[in-house]
Amino acid sequence: MSGQDFVSLLPLTVMASAAVLIMLAVSVRRSHLFVLLITLAGLAGAAAMLPVAAQAGPRNVTSLLVIDGYALFYTGLILAATFGVALFSFVYLRRREGQQEELYLLLLLAALGAAVMASSSHFASLFLGLELVSSSLFVLIAYPRGRVNIEAGVKYLILASVSTTFLLFGMALVYAQTGTMEFARLAALSGSWDGGGALVATGLGLMAVGLGFKLALVPFHMWAPDVYQGAPAPVTAFVATVSKVGVFALALRFFGQVGIRPHAHLFLLFTIVAVASMLAGNLLALLQDNVKRMLAYSSIAHLGYLLVAFLADGPLAVTAVTFYLSAYLATMLGAFGVLAVMPLRGGAEAEAVHDYRGLFWRRPWLAAAFAVILFSLAGIPMTAGFIGKFYLLDAGTGSSLWLLVFSMVAGSGISIYYYLRLVVMMYMRPREAGLRESASFPLAGSLALSAALGVIFWLGVYPAPFIDMIEKTANLK
Amino acid sequence: MMAAVPANYGLLLAAALFILGLAGVLVRRNVIFILLSIEIMVNASGLAFVVGGSRWRQPDGQLMFIFILAMAAVEVSLGLALVLQLYHHLKSLDIDRASSMRG
Repeated sequence: MSGQDFVSLLPLTVMASAAVLIMLAVSVRRSHLFVLLITLAGLAGAAAMLPVAAQAGPRNVTSLLVIDGYALFYTGLILAATFGVALFSFVYLRRREGQQEELYLLLLLAALGAAVMASSSHFASLFLGLELVSSSLFVLIAYPRGRVNIEAGVKYLILASVSTTFLLFGMALVYAQTGTMEFARLAALSGSWDGGGALVATGLGLMAVGLGFKLALVPFHMWAPDVYQGAPAPVTAFVATVSKVGVFALALRFFGQVGIRPHAHLFLLFTIVAVASMLAGNLLALLQDNVKRMLAYSSIAHLGYLLVAFLADGPLAVTAVTFYLSAYLATMLGAFGVLAVMPLRGGAEAEAVHDYRGLFWRRPWLAAAFAVILFSLAGIPMTAGFIGKFYLLDAGTGSSLWLLVFSMVAGSGISIYYYLRLVVMMYMRPREAGLRESASFPLAGSLALSAALGVIFWLGVYPAPFIDMIEKTANLK
Repeated sequence: MMAAVPANYGLLLAAALFILGLAGVLVRRNVIFILLSIEIMVNASGLAFVVGGSRWRQPDGQLMFIFILAMAAVEVSLGLALVLQLYHHLKSLDIDRASSMRG
């Protein structure tokens, strides 16, 4: 490794050092605020290193990692989302008993894993990044150690481990047949698979199943509602945003290089998964009266929408996916942020739909913010979600994926019902006294929520500069 | 030089182990046995990597196996810690009783 390689790795190194620093700081003296500040400084420092690493140019750091514009862009997204999650965690944990500092340590490690996934170009780094995210999440989900938290943690542990073994076995089959674990060399061999193709085809299929589990696509989605419900709200935000962005960035790079179109069975598999995710996700969301479960099914549907552009060919596809993921990130983060700062219901999170009845009359700003977020999820104009969906549809029609485009339109139509139901609920007159008010509105929470809202409006009203940036930096060519 | 085992036999063995492990995960209701079955699946994948490495005469397969071992150790330690907590709440290791969330 040369000096330049170390410069390219600076964003990752800064994140890792912040995690080590927290470990040391906690062993000396426990202070929630101090640990939060180290976390935020580490994330901001890593973000400040992104332009430095970009100047070193796109380069392969050993055969494991490739630090190009795409990797750095997604690392930036991951850092920004983790920043928000850390702020929400601060608000969330300050109102509760128990040790608080280790959560930030695990958040940083999980973010590091997601960033490694976004920059990986080799099965080994893919696997290490994925495991860094999953093993941090096992603990994060069960963090408050209540009964539902532990249940959710155990369920995630079992299903995530099984999905990892699918991915591993798939990678092993591909490796046994091709003799290489580097994405670029696999792509170069892509033409010559037809001889011993069955093994590679099975391997790629198993890998797709493993990644599908991590993205909670139907029919590999069973863990999502329980884990979203059982995890503390800021961690749910992390599961719904950072971990999925990391895996999707990886899937886009890997399958983009290896190519889906030449493998008819993979294309069919992804099409079925996408249609099932869009329809089943939205239909099941209709039945939920727990907001966290509803958002879980809604995020399943959103990942289905993303597959439309994922399967599309052409230069627009990567831009559409990246834009939609950015919009989804800001919106989902905001949604779970609202859940994290909501007044408590007898010490527990306010997660039932009827807890939101009349929220507007008690907390007008919070209700207005949540309404905007729900509009963005539903894809109503002036919000980021609308522009994002527009781009996905554009990419889908450009490649004549009519079945997918039709399912997406139908799914979005269904989704409007359950998003608006919640909005209507918030503006109804409250029947009873409702939730106990906390005295002050937490500053950290309002900052993070306003930032998320700002991004939603900015991407919804004036997306051109952002799209320019995506096209300049995050293209895979 | 030892007589080499054909790579396909090795992969078949790994696949059989993998399916056995998967069946264990699906059939068993005791959390400890589910974790054990997952270990079998993990090691089946590791075996497939080693077979691949020996076919191409590369160290990469065994290298991946070391990564996989480390990952399995992490998973088991976290898994057992969670199982202890689960037992503390449920007074049982039956996974079907961990069903307070529905919908």
